Amino acid sequence: MKMHMKHLDLYSQAIKTLRWTQPMRTLSTVNTSSGIQGNLSPAAPAPEPDKLYSKLEIELRGIDPAVLKSYTWFATTAAEHLGIEKGKCWSPRKAHHERMTLLKSVHIYKKHRVQYEVRTHFRYMNFHKLTGSTLDTFLEYIERNLPEGVALQASRTELQEIPEHLRQPPEQV
Amino acid sequence: MSSALTRLLERLPLKKQTAQSGIRVFSNQEQQQQEIEDDEEFRVLSLRTVKQQFQKRQQVRRDPITPPRTGRMAVDQDWTAVWPGPRSFHPASVPLPLRQGFTERGAAAPSKFANAELMKIPNFLHLTPPAIRQQCEAIKKFCTPWPKGLETEAKWQRHFPLEVTTTDYCQSLPTIRNPEARRVTISLKLSDLEFDAHARDKFLRLVGDRYDKDTDLVTFVTDRCPQKKQNYDYALYLLTACYHESFVTEPWEATKSEADMEVYLFERNQSKLSAEEILNWNAKEGAPKVVPSKSFADCVEQLINEGENEYNLGKYKEEVKKMLNIA
Repeated sequence: MKMHMKHLDLYSQAIKTLRWTQPMRTLSTVNTSSGIQGNLSPAAPAPEPDKLYSKLEIELRGIDPAVLKSYTWFATTAAEHLGIEKGKCWSPRKAHHERMTLLKSVHIYKKHRVQYEVRTHFRYMNFHKLTGSTLDTFLEYIERNLPEGVALQASRTELQEIPEHLRQPPEQV
Repeated sequence: MSSALTRLLERLPLKKQTAQSGIRVFSNQEQQQQEIEDDEEFRVLSLRTVKQQFQKRQQVRRDPITPPRTGRMAVDQDWTAVWPGPRSFHPASVPLPLRQGFTERGAAAPSKFANAELMKIPNFLHLTPPAIRQQCEAIKKFCTPWPKGLETEAKWQRHFPLEVTTTDYCQSLPTIRNPEARRVTISLKLSDLEFDAHARDKFLRLVGDRYDKDTDLVTFVTDRCPQKKQNYDYALYLLTACYHESFVTEPWEATKSEADMEVYLFERNQSKLSAEEILNWNAKEGAPKVVPSKSFADCVEQLINEGENEYNLGKYKEEVKKMLNIA
């Protein structure tokens, strides 16, 4: 296990130096179905428009259910502070046991075995209605504070308009 | 140690030592004994003193250990300054009376000092509520609010019908790569694409299992390319290709027989012929043909396409009675 001190100022500096998609002006009421265009400032290059994610599903796997529980509490609190809508957060009652029965001895002695077991506990969190910048920020914050021995899968569902070439039926050749 | 020996030997010369121990080193020992008693007070040989001196030498003088800093922590201190980042548990810095571990019945759990169990487990002391609040305040400026016109699912599905699902993996295995991360899933409602009848049928045949009739969703899952971006482009390409291809009518499509039909059409089927035969059973030659009514045709189609249920069967019964003029 590697443990190292991270000072708060270094951490915040690290975040500042990361390149983010510049958060756009808040997307006001969408009236037309045309693509979202950003404000072009004369000096800076045209920033990309912010993406929209309807759902962020996080699956946690670990060997210690208490650690997963604490981490879930941390993630949901952070989501609350950042104004992210929290969906269903749940955990299956039982863990997944992976058992192995191996020979105890290097040579012969088939009747004497040794058994090992690895227990994996799961936990699921769902968040809804995130913009691209919010999701990137939140996910990066969560991932940086992931404790040792815990694996995270983040599945995001992006909302997009139908591409231009699929909106109208093709003209017959 | 050597200095102690020399000191001893100074006080008690070898001759005296040997005299006390009973070993005769020199021949004039007896004379010396008398001499000693006359001259000074009897000097006692104490071998213990030597040992005590040795012990005193071995005692290293240690500085007094300072008490743990938990005793000097204020109740309202800034904990984020004490524990700014993830760190293995350090008992002298944590002002909590923690106990952890198994003991025999009746005994208290081992204290936090030199407690391997407390040190092994990951602690969240760097993520206390004030720390989280502080850090969230710092990163809040990078977040944007959800746009106002898209509160409900219906609204955003109307404006943004295409859904692209990707997964990221964060793990502490020997490798940080995960081959599943390149998988991209695209899903779209069929009603959001414009089709004519032939195109829709052909599209559904091209797409096959990827269409779910209950939810009207077409899903493309791609992971054949090494990169996520490539897989996304490929999925869009598949969608575009299927869409455009469904509007093209190939010459061999004319060979579509009744067995290939996906829906039952009254016009093409035996039922129409049978109905006409029944209606024109006793007709004269040259008389206009009586055609089964449209409602009958619709009802037969509905019965066969949707399956047999009470409503369909009842309706078919009514139609048949009407057609044959049975009261």
